Amino acid sequence: MFAVSINAALGRGAILLGLLTCLSGVAVTIAGIRQHDLRALKSSARYAYVAFFAALLAFVMMERALITRDFSMKYVQQVGSRDTPAIFNVTALWSALEGSILLWLLVLTAFVAAVARKFRGRAGDELLAWAMVVMFVVGLFFFFLSFGPANPFTMGPLGVSDGPGPNPLLQNHILVLFHPPILYIGYVGFTVPFAFAMAALITGRVGEGWLLETRRWTLYAWGFLTVGIILGSWWSYEVLGWSGVWAWDPVENASFLPWLTGTAYLHSVLVQERRGMLRVWNLSLVIATFSLTILGTFLTRSGVINSVHAFSEGSVGPWLLGFFAAIVIVAIILIGRRGDELRSPGAIDSPISREGAFLANNVVFSAFAFVVLLGTVFPLIVEAVDNRRLVVGQPFFNRMTMPLGLTLLFLMAVAPVLPWRKASQEVLRDRLFWPAWCGVFTLAVAVFVGADGWAPLTAFAMGGFASGAALRQIVLASRRQGWRGVVGRANGGMVVHIGVIIIAVAFTASNSYTRTQEFVMNEGETVTFSGHSFTFEGLSLESDDVKTSVKAAVRIDGDQIYSPSRSKYIKQGMDIGTPSVKSGFVNDLYLTLEGTVRPDDTQARIKIFVKPLIMWLWIGGALMAIGTVLAAFPGKRRRPTAPVSAGLEESVQEVADHA
Amino acid sequence: MSSRLSKLKRWPSWFLMLVCAGVLMFLGTQRDSGPSTAQERIEAISQRLACPTCDGESVYESRSPGSQAIRQEITRQVADGVLTDGQIVRMIDDSYAADLKLIPSATGFDALIWVLPVAAFVAAVGGLIIVFRRWRREGSLVATQEDQILVTQARQDKD
Repeated sequence: MFAVSINAALGRGAILLGLLTCLSGVAVTIAGIRQHDLRALKSSARYAYVAFFAALLAFVMMERALITRDFSMKYVQQVGSRDTPAIFNVTALWSALEGSILLWLLVLTAFVAAVARKFRGRAGDELLAWAMVVMFVVGLFFFFLSFGPANPFTMGPLGVSDGPGPNPLLQNHILVLFHPPILYIGYVGFTVPFAFAMAALITGRVGEGWLLETRRWTLYAWGFLTVGIILGSWWSYEVLGWSGVWAWDPVENASFLPWLTGTAYLHSVLVQERRGMLRVWNLSLVIATFSLTILGTFLTRSGVINSVHAFSEGSVGPWLLGFFAAIVIVAIILIGRRGDELRSPGAIDSPISREGAFLANNVVFSAFAFVVLLGTVFPLIVEAVDNRRLVVGQPFFNRMTMPLGLTLLFLMAVAPVLPWRKASQEVLRDRLFWPAWCGVFTLAVAVFVGADGWAPLTAFAMGGFASGAALRQIVLASRRQGWRGVVGRANGGMVVHIGVIIIAVAFTASNSYTRTQEFVMNEGETVTFSGHSFTFEGLSLESDDVKTSVKAAVRIDGDQIYSPSRSKYIKQGMDIGTPSVKSGFVNDLYLTLEGTVRPDDTQARIKIFVKPLIMWLWIGGALMAIGTVLAAFPGKRRRPTAPVSAGLEESVQEVADHA
Repeated sequence: MSSRLSKLKRWPSWFLMLVCAGVLMFLGTQRDSGPSTAQERIEAISQRLACPTCDGESVYESRSPGSQAIRQEITRQVADGVLTDGQIVRMIDDSYAADLKLIPSATGFDALIWVLPVAAFVAAVGGLIIVFRRWRREGSLVATQEDQILVTQARQDKD
């Protein structure tokens, strides 16, 4: 018997290897830049590959430890169990702090290796070299966390032969296999544009070059973050039993914040590419997006904020906060140092123009992010200043974000039809005519089917207006370019817009028009609610090694049986309710079993939620993912370095320098 | 055909569109949008209160015993039919030492959470207006002959 298990020994060795590799990567690459040593610069790719190998080895060792139930390790004692089903043993890796940092490392080093591979022919380019340095520094920090304050490979007390397994909520649905890794790919993916932005500031090549290099990386990161958030909402809906998809929980907000700034960046970057403007703003947005991923990690991993998602208090908090502060300070210093070089040539001719709309969009997105950030950290501020507990919840966020959301829908309707530089009244009247009628038609349909309330009705009207504008663009592009009318950044972007609009409409409908009723039902009794019949056919008991479940059989509309349940997780002693959902295109019928139940009871409390348009949230999410992929395809081909409009003299200088 | 279309898109049609939208909004907002059953009223009130024992959840989301107790109290008050929703929220909030309201008050230090976003938004919009005015004053830059030569040279070098 080893004093240290092979999993722990190899895992710890791998982390140390990664740490030293990143450190060497930083040193060798900086030395290569200083001495113009091409050989040293070329070797930085090898450091990236070794760092990835190290993270992968550590990840595999931890998975092996969980799968083989190596209870000599503290982390396995904490989240592993002999009874946990195999699939949830795999996902247990990211069910607590140390393992989630390991997943972060794996994704981060994969990105670093992918960048090294993609740009392997340009090792001598100083911009790329500095980007590698920045990514190595980020890698170094996370390897350090994994080596020290969040070491997953420490040994636990002797003699432990079993553990509690992951939190029951994390072994209740298959989505737990996909949601965290996809979310992390999105989160961590923003490291690449951040690294290039910092490299641009360090080298002084602050033109459009770094934007073009990172265009697709940013888009992919944003796409994965979008899908990750949608999957998280789906998981919440299917598992938590309160019938909602978004609770403005601090951890949800932590993922939403970089999404908001990332979305603002994806729009404003077009203005810089086209007009050479908003350089400082775009750099700030990229830096803010990455910083917010670190701040979000701090909020969720340090235990400072109360959330159902947050991990218990650990010693990583001060380190993460320090890293966040360092990023912000260094970025501000670098931006300040570049001062005049960042001043953009040219001007926006009119606010009624495409670039004017993008600016307005950025103001609204920034305000949105500010509201979400303030609402998330305000309880911390109150506690620090006033020494009292305050919870800022859904009503605050709904009230504050609703006008911002409606404004964004309006901008989504108007911006796509606006030309660059300036729009005349005639152009606006012509191009907005049919989209506006789409809005009125949608409003008429909503009123006809019984919708009420000014906010939801405005949202539906704006949704119709915006979808009319997006469809108009797709139709026009398809007429001109055939199948290419749906690919490329602008056209794929319109598909994403349609996805966003569908989500906005579905979210509004499900939040505003959910009908709920709780029934105490006897066996064989049928109740009618919201035009559906529900027959309670009795309770049954199911047990396995992990839990004992009491399931209610409820027949809906005399057809299929649905079984909401309550499960007692034996090891954790936790009582978890699991809803049962009949999904449809118009309504979801969401059933929960309430109260304490015994299998021999002949009576049960069944709560019924009738939730409109929920399925359209997932359809909208799928459309956003498809649109992102379409946007990543090259549209109308153009040399990336070709000047596209006025005001790119520095970019051209940059190309000339580079050539 | 195209001239008929462009005639259609003139201001009278837009005016008609606005009237239609206004009428539809009026019809829609005249309906009762509040909770239609006592249960829905209970749900609406429970969404305004924080669970006293759990981490950042509302009474509506939480299944903890503390939340169940508050839910029962809300059910009792709704059945009595004496207090309004706001009064029920205040009554339950007052009966706990901790602040259970999920929506911060607009007085004292808590007012900052309402004021700051509005102030930031106004500042951002104001800044935008100032920048647009400055841009209008300065006008766009026009490429000089030197710029043209630079571009041509860069293109040639690249090719």
